[in-house]
Amino acid sequence: MVLIKTQRDTLLAPLQSVSGIVEKRHTLPILSNVLLEKKGENLTLLATDIEIQITTSTSGAAGDGDGAVTVGARKLQDILRSLPDSAEVSLILEEKRLQVRAGKSRFSLQTLPADDFPRMTVTENDLKKFTVTQKQFRQLLAQTQYSMAAQDVRYYLNGLLLLVDGSELRAVATDGHRLAYASMPLEAELPRQELILPRKTVLELNRLLADNDEPLSIEMSPNQIRFQFGHIVLVSKLIDGKFPDYERVIPATLKNIVSLNRAALLQSMVRAAILTNEKFRGVRLVLSDGSLKIMAANAEQEEALEEIEVDYHGDTLDVGFNVGYLLDVLNNTSVENIEWGFNDANSSALLTVPGNDRFKYVVMPMRI
Amino acid sequence: MPSPPHINLLPDLLISQIAAGEVVERPASVLKELLENALDAGSTTIQIQLEEGGVKLIRISDDGCGIARDELALALTRHATSKIASLEDLERVGTLGFRGEALASVAAVARVTLTSRQQGAPHAWRLAGEPGATPEPAALLAGTVVEMRDLYYNTPARRKFLKSEATEYAHCIDAVKRIALAHPGVAFTLSHNGRVSLHLAKSDARGRAGAILGDDFLAESRAVDTGGGHAQGIRLTGHCALPAHSRARSDAQYCYVNGRFVRDKLLTHALREAYQDMLHGSRYPAYCVFLEVDPASVDVNVHPAKTEVRFRDGRAVHQFVYHAVQRTLSASLAAHPASTGDTGSGTDDGAAQYRSGAPLPGGAPTAGSERPAFTHYAPRQESLRVSEPAVASYFAFAQNARADAASARFNASDAFAPAGTPGALPSPAPGGDDGAPLGYAVAQLHGIYVLAQNAQGLVLVDMHAAHERILYEKLKSAWDERAVATQALLIPAVFAAEPLDVAASEEHADALRELGFDIAPMGPAQLAVRAVPALLQAADPAALARSLLVELREHGVTQLLAARRNELLATMACHGAVRARRQLSVPEMNALLRQMEETERSDQCNHGRPTWTQLSLAELDRLFLRGR
Repeated sequence: MVLIKTQRDTLLAPLQSVSGIVEKRHTLPILSNVLLEKKGENLTLLATDIEIQITTSTSGAAGDGDGAVTVGARKLQDILRSLPDSAEVSLILEEKRLQVRAGKSRFSLQTLPADDFPRMTVTENDLKKFTVTQKQFRQLLAQTQYSMAAQDVRYYLNGLLLLVDGSELRAVATDGHRLAYASMPLEAELPRQELILPRKTVLELNRLLADNDEPLSIEMSPNQIRFQFGHIVLVSKLIDGKFPDYERVIPATLKNIVSLNRAALLQSMVRAAILTNEKFRGVRLVLSDGSLKIMAANAEQEEALEEIEVDYHGDTLDVGFNVGYLLDVLNNTSVENIEWGFNDANSSALLTVPGNDRFKYVVMPMRI
Repeated sequence: MPSPPHINLLPDLLISQIAAGEVVERPASVLKELLENALDAGSTTIQIQLEEGGVKLIRISDDGCGIARDELALALTRHATSKIASLEDLERVGTLGFRGEALASVAAVARVTLTSRQQGAPHAWRLAGEPGATPEPAALLAGTVVEMRDLYYNTPARRKFLKSEATEYAHCIDAVKRIALAHPGVAFTLSHNGRVSLHLAKSDARGRAGAILGDDFLAESRAVDTGGGHAQGIRLTGHCALPAHSRARSDAQYCYVNGRFVRDKLLTHALREAYQDMLHGSRYPAYCVFLEVDPASVDVNVHPAKTEVRFRDGRAVHQFVYHAVQRTLSASLAAHPASTGDTGSGTDDGAAQYRSGAPLPGGAPTAGSERPAFTHYAPRQESLRVSEPAVASYFAFAQNARADAASARFNASDAFAPAGTPGALPSPAPGGDDGAPLGYAVAQLHGIYVLAQNAQGLVLVDMHAAHERILYEKLKSAWDERAVATQALLIPAVFAAEPLDVAASEEHADALRELGFDIAPMGPAQLAVRAVPALLQAADPAALARSLLVELREHGVTQLLAARRNELLATMACHGAVRARRQLSVPEMNALLRQMEETERSDQCNHGRPTWTQLSLAELDRLFLRGR
């Protein structure tokens, strides 16, 4: 039975959007498969890793009848991707096999029954729903996601705090050494609710969201979140834990604030970073009247010194930082200037964007 | 209804039997107590006769000072001793025993007969350990004979715990060996069921160690001697086996404090630490070390069997032992292969350096007088003679290798002046070690091994392992020179802790800060980690802090962070080292050999595998049946 007969791209594009979450190695073989489900002209693709489930649908898939089957996601994607752009592809369902035909190529893939495919039960009640544009949300993630921890024992840090409060949506990420905070306005008015998105969900969303003004609808329940955008529906479980109180971490009072040119600072840092120690990457910043010196030295006693002119008049400040933490924030903000607020060499520093209180970045110093 | 129990004074025999429960565990413990008595009496020849694993009979004959007739009965009484007389004596006790319990305890559970002739007495006296017995005249040349028969004859319950004759006998041999190791100036003869099974002639410390632990042990070990002159009078002597000759079990570990065999956690830990990053996986080091400390600074009265001690300043002792052993081990064999070499000539030279530890004549010897007195051990560090024509490029290689530690980039062309004559090999001066103990490279085998010839013969070097160790040691010293970088935590890691941990965190706050930690109590049972060493920032701070505090609590010092740091550096070194299959030119290989000679611990790679081996000309000749 010919299940689908269509252009390569009609099949490849939706497959690529779901296959990102499919893990390479699994103890459950079916989880490396993608579910193909055809009803009339409509083809639905579904992939899951038990924590996240992505569904996408496409129309314009001709074929002999309805049917559903699961097949290795990565293999199918690799085959489709290596076919010529304009190729016409047929998927033919045989007894326990799926044959892929295009031109003179033939591939026979093993399948597993569609009924065995695990699907997440989607909670329908007690949902809080709001809509933002894809671009806005993508930006919110981009400003914060690099601060998430990876494989920390404090599992609740391996994700991103999403907090709805009134007409504001906030995102916070921290790995225990630095913290990024960003917020955006909402059109809806919602009661306060916070949840922690798993790291993988955040990275996947960042990959899938488009940089446009198309709507993204978000539905939150206490243990699940659902994103709907374009043809894609992404359902993710949440991290059950208490995120640290980020408000206590952001310094309320600052003794001094210096405005710095972001691009100039970034370039100096990138250069100084070459001679930092590869294991902890410490740089020393010495701020004095009119100048900021950036110094680095590595285990071989090689040294780097960068100097930037700054508009600062006050006591000399000598403080160390992990240059990686500073590079992260400088790379992920696209503004002309950045403000560095501090109290002393032992307390946390606050980096902000002038005239914008919707972004904050806190970083702890390093004693070198 | 039963009547309420009355409080009674226990009969004397029962009191002794209870005390015996602690001291007399098995025949070997009786033997140990009796041997210690003999040694405390200043004997120079001790004969031990056992029957049926020591259960039936233990007879110890010594040539010590003997016991006077009138004191024979007293010797068998509880809390009677000639070794101390006051609390001051107890605090500075120099004899092996002092509790005045051993003989009485043994007499409570076995039939004991004492025969002794004091110096100058007209004849000997014999006393049977039975109530009401009186001394009878007896024949004996000199010294004392203690005879114990039928252990546990009156306490059958205890008897059931005894193991087979062979097992009990093995324990007895162990007891004799332990004591004999610490008393090389005393001759021991052990016979079992009428057959002599062990005879140890008077010797020096080195000879005795060889007689008991085997000559293999001596050949494979380094002598330790910190020498006198330490401020607190601490001194460590003995032998530590090289890491390559570790054991699968912890059976060859002999540790003595003031001549007393101990199983002390603190000392074992210090020794284990000293072998760190040279020992492969779960292997155990072999050693036989004697620690001398001021008797006043150590409390041996912790347990009746006295295998545990308590140091007044445990931290200082730990550090002292750790550094002494570590220094000894880290001197690389490559720098002076002949000094502890595998052949006889090296060891014979060494033997002459030790003077015999003869005991003081007569009387109870004071602590230390019988300690094996090793002369000062001075590792010989040959300086590199800069007469080699290619030597400049060796140093260039050294610099280059060092710079590459971080980046793993290896660019030989920068380092070497275009070598004109790579084929012209400098041949080693015959018979001399001309500043190049590892000799000069001849060729490379399969891109894995470097073949070099030195005065002794052929040297085979695993180039990756060797280079790895060189880089590792460089990284370590580079890191040691720097202050510890500390990453403050934005969100402190709070964890539940035992009150002991909380107390330790306060007590060792300064030490923790030096290590780059900031741990502050949050409550009676909660601690918060506020800063961690930047190098270990990826580790779980709470778990790290917890194990750190446990170490500090138990040993007062911790090498834990250094160990964790070294793991990281070892990985870096491994990635930075030259890989197998890389063709090295002759000057590169020579540079590697010279660096090995200069590097500490270069005999083992970071994982404890040997980096080089020597095939002597004699061994090669044997392969070809030459010169027969």
